Amino acid sequence: MIKNPTKPTTDGSPEDMNRRRLLSWLSGVGLCGSAIIAAASNLVFIKPRATYGQPNRFAIGKPEDFPSGARISLDTRRVCIVREGDKVGAISTTCTHLGCIVGVSGTGFACPCHGSHYDQDGFVTGGPAPRALSWYQVTLAPNGDLYVDKDNEVEAGTYLKV
Amino acid sequence: MSTQTVIRSQNSWLALPQNIWRSVFRNPLPNSDYGRSSTSFSNFFLHIHPVKVHRHSLKATYTWGLGLMASFLFLILVVTGILLMFYYVPSTTQAYDRMLDLRGTVAFGIFLRNMHRWSAHAMVAVVFLHMCRVFLTGAYKPPREFNWVIGVFLFLITLFLSFTGYLLPWDQLAFWAITVGTSIAGYAPFVGKDVRFLLLGDSTVGQEALLRFYVLHVAVLPVVLTGLVTIHFWRIRKDGGLAKPEEEETGTTSPASVSGGLVEAPMTMAVAAGAAASAGAATLPKRSFGIQGLVRGPLVKVGSIEDRTLFSWPNLFQAELLVFVISVAAILVVSLFFNAPLEEPVNVMHPPNPAKAPWYFLGLQEQVSYSAFWGGVGVPTIEVLLLLLVPYIDRKQVGVGKWFGRERLLANTLFMTFAVINVVLVVIGTFFRGANWEFVSPW
Repeated sequence: MIKNPTKPTTDGSPEDMNRRRLLSWLSGVGLCGSAIIAAASNLVFIKPRATYGQPNRFAIGKPEDFPSGARISLDTRRVCIVREGDKVGAISTTCTHLGCIVGVSGTGFACPCHGSHYDQDGFVTGGPAPRALSWYQVTLAPNGDLYVDKDNEVEAGTYLKV
Repeated sequence: MSTQTVIRSQNSWLALPQNIWRSVFRNPLPNSDYGRSSTSFSNFFLHIHPVKVHRHSLKATYTWGLGLMASFLFLILVVTGILLMFYYVPSTTQAYDRMLDLRGTVAFGIFLRNMHRWSAHAMVAVVFLHMCRVFLTGAYKPPREFNWVIGVFLFLITLFLSFTGYLLPWDQLAFWAITVGTSIAGYAPFVGKDVRFLLLGDSTVGQEALLRFYVLHVAVLPVVLTGLVTIHFWRIRKDGGLAKPEEEETGTTSPASVSGGLVEAPMTMAVAAGAAASAGAATLPKRSFGIQGLVRGPLVKVGSIEDRTLFSWPNLFQAELLVFVISVAAILVVSLFFNAPLEEPVNVMHPPNPAKAPWYFLGLQEQVSYSAFWGGVGVPTIEVLLLLLVPYIDRKQVGVGKWFGRERLLANTLFMTFAVINVVLVVIGTFFRGANWEFVSPW
């Protein structure tokens, strides 16, 4: 890069060395930083902003569709509707262990995959499940339809009076 | 024949086929040591091999050809996989029908699918056995530590490739195995839920997950695997070939022989260069090949040092061809007699009972039935970390290059314990677990 032999652009003096080290350090940081940002932006790209699955809030029917004492498992929605007297609740049927669908059994719920058992309220009674089944908020729409909102988890034993 | 006659005859039209042939294959089939070296050295497909290979590395009972077998199985998987791609559609509404088409209407469809499935199973098994071979012969020790690390990653990618392929038929087995498998990922601390969401592209296994697994299976992972395999092969050469016992090492590190090699190497090179110019290869002095064999260390054999190596052509290439033929033949025969399973189409409402992962993940599934975190994440992570660290912990150069060296009793025992425990868990998960994962007797 020496344009004029009598006037070298680099003279090897300490200041010159420092400048060179700083410049190479900066370029290194710039290159690595760009690489990291590029990699991170790829992650952002593959994380979907919209999903195409089912909506998490959905209508399940009128209150009278669920007679008292009914435990009706809506497998497509992965939720079990429980009615006791004038109260309606919704319990998740997705096993908290590894995501299989639990079936309604005599004592509550049972998972076919790894043998987890739950009682009537979704509390673990056996097997590898680490925690109780979730309960979801149930609401009554003005048109008389019951809605379950899976984005809204509620405490176990939370019912809606109808 | 004078030189002029040769040139004239090469320029005639009659020599066209011969000229084309010679432009492709620069070396005639070798019949001299010089020819054997330059054939290995100048052919693109052969030059990843050394010109000469140690007798110990050629012993079938030392390697059992397992590494080669794994790469040949991968080759079969690539070829059959690309062919299957011509008919497969990664869509939840079409994938299963395409499987039925492969079975019913596509010529050789069922056979190609069988080959793909059985090679995948075989590859997992063979890669695992290859890892056992390398451990039990102490071949991971310096300078081969990093190649062992690459090998561990190759094993993990092999498993992940198989796992992603498992979803594609979109049958009951596929759907529930992936539901369970990705839920295990969800148990990883901090990043688990995000990793699961990134893998599935949604909160449950569906169209997005199928598409993502397809892309991983046919593009991302094969490319990564190919890259790592290339480095794996490259480093075998750079690390001095396969590990061998010290008493059989070709080179000795005494300064005298090193300088001997260095002094004489330029001379042999000059002889080789001169010889290449002349046509009479048969009159070459012996050992002019030496410099081409030099990759690392004082490997050039000059003078009276005992040479325990053999030419790769034909010794190594014949051995490799044999392993290739055996691998292909085995897959063909198995594919002829056994069909790859295809269960009912996906029913997201009714998991099969029991819902089982592919056999090599059943050890994991068995562990998971005790504790999702420890069985699915904690213990496997510890095992992989141990595998990765082994060559950096155990660096003593003893018992290298032979099976079950007595000096390595402790290391081998520990490794075998882990291996046997995992195999036993797989056996329990495969044969002793029934509905609701209850213990059942297979008899």
